[in-house]
Amino acid sequence: MGCCGFALFSLTLVSMIVPAACAMELVTLERPDEGTTLFLVEDHRAALVSLILDFPAGSWSSWSDDHGGREAWRIQLFDKESRLRARADELSAELWLSAGARSSQLSLSCLKQDLPQALTLVRDLLEGRNFDRHQLRRWTREERLWWQAGQKRPATLRAAAAARRLYKAGDPRRRRWERPRKLERRVARLLQARDTIVRLRGRIIGFAGDLSPQEARELAKGLLPPAAETLPDGLAIDLPGSQVDSGPALDTEITLPGLNQVYLALTRESLCYEDEDWPAFLVADHVLAGHFYSRLYRALRHEGGDTYTAASSGRGSVETAPYSLETFTRVENAEVIEEKLRETLAVFSRKGITEAERRAAISHLEGARAFSRQSPGQILRRRIVEVRSGLEAGALDAQVEQAAALSLGEINAFIRAFYDRAHFMMIRVIPLAPSPAGR
Amino acid sequence: MIGILAGLLPLSLAAVPSDNGPQLSLAAVPSDNGPQLSPAAVPSDNGPALIRETLTNGMQVSILVDASQPLVATQLWYHVGTANESADNRGFAHLFEHLMFGGTKTHPKEEYAQLHHDAGGYENAYTSLDETVYVSLIVPAQHARVLELEADRMTSLALNEENLDNEKRIVIEELRLRSDNDPELRIFLAAQEAVLGDHPYAYSSQGFKEDVERASLAQARIFYKTYYQPRNAHLVIVGPVDGQAVLAQVRELFGKLPDRGERPAEVPPLLGHAYPREVIQLREDLPPVETAVLAFPLPVPGSADHWALEILAQLLGGSRVNPFEEDLVKTRRKAVYATSEWLNFRRGGVVVFAAAQLPYRRRATAFRFLDETLHTLGEFDWLSEEKVESAKRALRRRELERRYDANSQASAIGTAAWWQGDEMQAFESSAGLDAVSRGEVIRAWQRYIGEAEGIRVYLEPQKVPLYVRLFGWIYPLVTR
Repeated sequence: MGCCGFALFSLTLVSMIVPAACAMELVTLERPDEGTTLFLVEDHRAALVSLILDFPAGSWSSWSDDHGGREAWRIQLFDKESRLRARADELSAELWLSAGARSSQLSLSCLKQDLPQALTLVRDLLEGRNFDRHQLRRWTREERLWWQAGQKRPATLRAAAAARRLYKAGDPRRRRWERPRKLERRVARLLQARDTIVRLRGRIIGFAGDLSPQEARELAKGLLPPAAETLPDGLAIDLPGSQVDSGPALDTEITLPGLNQVYLALTRESLCYEDEDWPAFLVADHVLAGHFYSRLYRALRHEGGDTYTAASSGRGSVETAPYSLETFTRVENAEVIEEKLRETLAVFSRKGITEAERRAAISHLEGARAFSRQSPGQILRRRIVEVRSGLEAGALDAQVEQAAALSLGEINAFIRAFYDRAHFMMIRVIPLAPSPAGR
Repeated sequence: MIGILAGLLPLSLAAVPSDNGPQLSLAAVPSDNGPQLSPAAVPSDNGPALIRETLTNGMQVSILVDASQPLVATQLWYHVGTANESADNRGFAHLFEHLMFGGTKTHPKEEYAQLHHDAGGYENAYTSLDETVYVSLIVPAQHARVLELEADRMTSLALNEENLDNEKRIVIEELRLRSDNDPELRIFLAAQEAVLGDHPYAYSSQGFKEDVERASLAQARIFYKTYYQPRNAHLVIVGPVDGQAVLAQVRELFGKLPDRGERPAEVPPLLGHAYPREVIQLREDLPPVETAVLAFPLPVPGSADHWALEILAQLLGGSRVNPFEEDLVKTRRKAVYATSEWLNFRRGGVVVFAAAQLPYRRRATAFRFLDETLHTLGEFDWLSEEKVESAKRALRRRELERRYDANSQASAIGTAAWWQGDEMQAFESSAGLDAVSRGEVIRAWQRYIGEAEGIRVYLEPQKVPLYVRLFGWIYPLVTR
């Protein structure tokens, strides 16, 4: 043992003052106006600043559907001469506009020294009226081609079948799997929608990075036009309930030409945050399907090499989702793996988890929280998710503590009820015809 | 079309390697051009400090002490990848990566995963063209244990038939998932193989089912003894650790391992390889859009043109306004979608220009439009000094953003050390970028794109409905 060429280098890449491990906290500063909240996550490790402007108009609202809210938000960045995006490039800034389920968001990331100019760009963007209609046509075409491509993918077909079984036509949880509609292209309507979104009460200005509270306050002033007094109708998301109870009666088979695997999913509706059993669900799902040595991974991968993956999807959040225990295997092994999948679920439901599994799951969930605290932007985004989900600050982290407070008996009582096979339907994506030779 | 196809280009290429080239198989050729480390030492008072050491058995160690991180990232790089496989051995490097999770003589197979699981950490691995990397992210309190287990599986891996057979089945299911049952991936893997021919980068890390099925325990043992050894490894640690204490532990655990292991034979550079001159035409079960692809090989990372090409990549691949797309799609309306992707590997890069059109044009016309746009770009009316400076600033900003992520920093260090022979390249973009002028950016374009032949690939759907063709004929009339 020994060494050669020992070297210690100071990295002078940034004027870095290194704080002791991660003391980043989100602070809520005084409101710039009655309709606006101002957040800051201060972090001086690098001379960078991120800004998130978040507005409570999500693409799942009927208002957004009726007024083209989703496209109105995204098209702002696309003026006919591409000047706004060119200015972002000149500032070497990252600038995105996204229309999520529950909010419309602008995200900006730039060097601190460029922040004043970048904020001028943001203001100009939010006041811009020179929308490029051609871009809307391109998006319409793009979305339809994506959708067509998805019709050849087993995972897409499985997810679409689950959503169609569980939710009524028009439910946003189902709509994303349907053929995309034509986007609104009337500029006057788009402008009206955008101007409405920008003025919505309940909007958030969030800064993260190399800023002091005083700087954040100053920069937030005048960034947005005054908030409107009232909210338009149809802005709240009103999700209808599941159209049917899940269950074996709804087992579904979808065929796709050319496959040399079958794709299986045991599916039912998930829980959501407000459900009193949510903390128990966190633990149960983790033990059954949430890690590399979960029950499913052991039974379907490690013990027989039946598959590459066996996991859950659609665990839900503020709303329910199609919850699936899914896997895949070679065609000739389909019956074997389906039986193992059913049996794993049956044993799980009947016997529950052990105390060692409960402890390990809680330990994992507690430790994994560090992954959402690496950058100031992560902390800011997590808080915005909480706000849009109607949760108190820290509520997402607190779910783990609530789960930790549950006894083994409480968790297993939940498992017996929720994971009863009678609640799950089986969705199979199978080859239409025998797969080509040699595959 | 559409990002569906063009967006997948980097994905498939990044996951792919070859035919003749240097063989990983069982006859390794020692390499003498590995990373050379400088013996200089500069102590640091308050910034993240990089400790570098080469153990006497040849293993490289890099420890970046960063007290601001909540997690410790550990990456163990073995300098062997898919490009080092022989013609009858496609997919072996990836299969072996799976075997590394099979436990050791003294630790059961679950222990490594369980350690990470219980601490809320993350562990995984990936096999790429040039390397196989084992990744851990964990809270500082458990980090010492990670090092113990990594050192253990470098010397005491339990290789047995049962585990090999199981992992073969798993890997083949992964291969079917990724390579067989997705039309877009299928066509890109086919394109990659057709373009790269006998270059070691021509095949996917998934390999071929028949080769994976044929893999033997004897092969695995030789592979392990040859390449999974200190002389072919680089350990990178980033996070809130006591640098000297961790270095002492590393010396204790890894420094006592015997000096052995070989570098695989060097992969030939992409630049200079003989590529097909004719257009490669491929058909798949795709949506009704045709894509013309024009690709140009680039020099190895760290070449004299490295930073000029990085700036070009930022301008044409990382900017919000991509002049290639602007000209082809928005100004001239000769494509419904266009993109340029810049891919880098250890032995060179590739820039890919792709333009998608509705299926009514002739192939030659599609390529003519592409050529015209590249010709227009080659006149450089679009490139000002200010744009070059903005691109440099964007690259520096990205480097700063890594500061928030221990694993990204570890990846940058590992890549710089293996691909460029000096991990300090992960932190020293400023000097390189400062030296690049607009003229050098233009010269780099001319050298690798403007004056180069280019590789041409045309991707077509198997079926185009008649109504789509009719629409395609009408489309240019109504959009004038």
